[in-house]
Amino acid sequence: MNVKRIARDAVLTALALIIFIVELQIPPITPVPGVKLGLANVVTVAALFLFGPWDAGAILILRILLGAAFSSNPSALIYSLAGGALSFAALLLMQKIVNKRQIWAASAISAAFHNLGQIAAAVLITRTPALFAYLPVLTAAGIIAGLVTGSAAQLAVNRIKK
Amino acid sequence: MKTKALVIIIAVVLAISLAASAILYFGGERKTANIYVDGKLYRSIDLAAVTEAQTFTVETERGRNVIEVERGRIRVSEADCPDRVCMRSGWLSEGDIPIVCLPHGLVIRLSSGGEVDSVSR
Amino acid sequence: MRRSAAIIAVLIMLLTVSSCANSEKTAEFFAMDTYMSVKAYGGGDAVDEAEALVFELERKLSITDGLSEISAVNEAGSAQVSQETAELVASALGLCELSGGALDISVYPVTRAWGFTAGEYRVPQEAELEKLLRLVDYTKVKVSGDTVSLGEGMLIDLGAVAKGYAGDRVTELLRSHGVKSAIINLGGNVQCLGRKPDGSRWKIGVQDPAGSGYVGVIEAEDEAVITSGGYERFFVEDGKTYWHIIDPSDGRPADSGLISVTVVGKSGLACDGLSTALFVMGKEKAAGLWRENGGFEAAFVTENGDIIITEGLSGRFTTSGGRKVSEVIRRDEN
Repeated sequence: MNVKRIARDAVLTALALIIFIVELQIPPITPVPGVKLGLANVVTVAALFLFGPWDAGAILILRILLGAAFSSNPSALIYSLAGGALSFAALLLMQKIVNKRQIWAASAISAAFHNLGQIAAAVLITRTPALFAYLPVLTAAGIIAGLVTGSAAQLAVNRIKK
Repeated sequence: MKTKALVIIIAVVLAISLAASAILYFGGERKTANIYVDGKLYRSIDLAAVTEAQTFTVETERGRNVIEVERGRIRVSEADCPDRVCMRSGWLSEGDIPIVCLPHGLVIRLSSGGEVDSVSR
Repeated sequence: MRRSAAIIAVLIMLLTVSSCANSEKTAEFFAMDTYMSVKAYGGGDAVDEAEALVFELERKLSITDGLSEISAVNEAGSAQVSQETAELVASALGLCELSGGALDISVYPVTRAWGFTAGEYRVPQEAELEKLLRLVDYTKVKVSGDTVSLGEGMLIDLGAVAKGYAGDRVTELLRSHGVKSAIINLGGNVQCLGRKPDGSRWKIGVQDPAGSGYVGVIEAEDEAVITSGGYERFFVEDGKTYWHIIDPSDGRPADSGLISVTVVGKSGLACDGLSTALFVMGKEKAAGLWRENGGFEAAFVTENGDIIITEGLSGRFTTSGGRKVSEVIRRDEN
């Protein structure tokens, strides 16, 4: 295994983790559970388009696990995993159909699926299908957050490619 | 894929979601608050019949939520969960969007009183 | 372009017309010291008239409003009242008699001594109760023409029948406006008109006297479903609970082993008065009264949590939350 690759991914994981923890300190903008920008995903999205699915996937899963260990809310891990898995799957599919100038769009769709995954996990855990009522608002919030983080990832990819 | 097509898809999904959220948030008259713990009905309160504000505590092995009820509305006023999303949700008085406290498996949902049309008391 | 505009106009008109035909209208207000709601399907502004009617009745019948007709009777010992009030007093006296005095509209001096009128609760001394009980005797309340007169020092309170009577009047009013379907809740006294718009019977929850849910659900149409329970108004002193339903025979909160009585029947006035009377009488005497008279059905909750119903309710009373009916009272005693 390539040492340079390990070092690069480790640095990116650390970066994502720092962003994640810093964002946790910011009080939520809305009272809706699950709504946040998810700035750490800038790293995941950029890594996918720059280095491919294996590196991006590793960074994502490590960031989620370490993030849960560092945060004060370990029960949120299951929601992060469900959201992370679904959004990453969506992101991989989107990567197949978008070009290098449309990363922001892939990120928006992927973020919506992140929230879908979280709701599905919450419905299963609390056994309350009524929580699907959150789907529209979280889809909208996911798209907006995905556009913001996706645009940041787009800028990063554009710069690094040059 | 054409950028225009992507923009349209995302804009349409966003618009539908926002419209649906508005409907779900302001979904007309709801009279009964149902409090669920792990999907099981814990307590049902006819909010229209509340005459005096009252609070009570839902306690599970995972933690506690203090619930406050006034005529026509309900909220979580105190909680010892890590994120306190339930408290920040504020007063619930209409619509189909529930208050949730995921760490405690607690859900407060309004219904139009579905199972009964009125309560004799 | 013009055609599509026309189609849209027609659609809007259709929507407006169809929403009028079956429109639901609710009036919610605070009257007679309690929260009230009148919900009617069709009938336009009838619910607003219903609200005005309830306020009008409150002005006539209130015990706390010094200008009411009942206050005039209480102050002067005898007063001329409206025909409506005179008839209501006469009907209430009929219920007092039917219940053998378990319901007594002249128990008011005692209720007041306990503080249930003003909310300044206290436990009166034995001697005080004894003195006040001498003033309690509904047979000394006379109605002749439009004049209601009381015995010396007596006071009457129509609180036990006023909401039921108001429900009857509101139902009558809505019916005269062509309303076929309505549900009225006057401070927990439920009265329904017809069936639900979808043709099914109204489902009326019976409050759990020991909690916040329902003990069961009664299916009803064109009926009143009225509950009396100790939980409605009470206070606790030295660990003992005192509630607002006073037994006119000893002047103390009724201690009959029942904690809630629900009466179902055509007349709201009768159901209201009977729910109080049966609460005071206790299960055995209440069953006797039901067998002799009929015309109503009842559901009882005892202090042990047992649920007892009269046989007319079996089949349309469904218990909730895993409870069971522990006894069905039948007309023939076997």
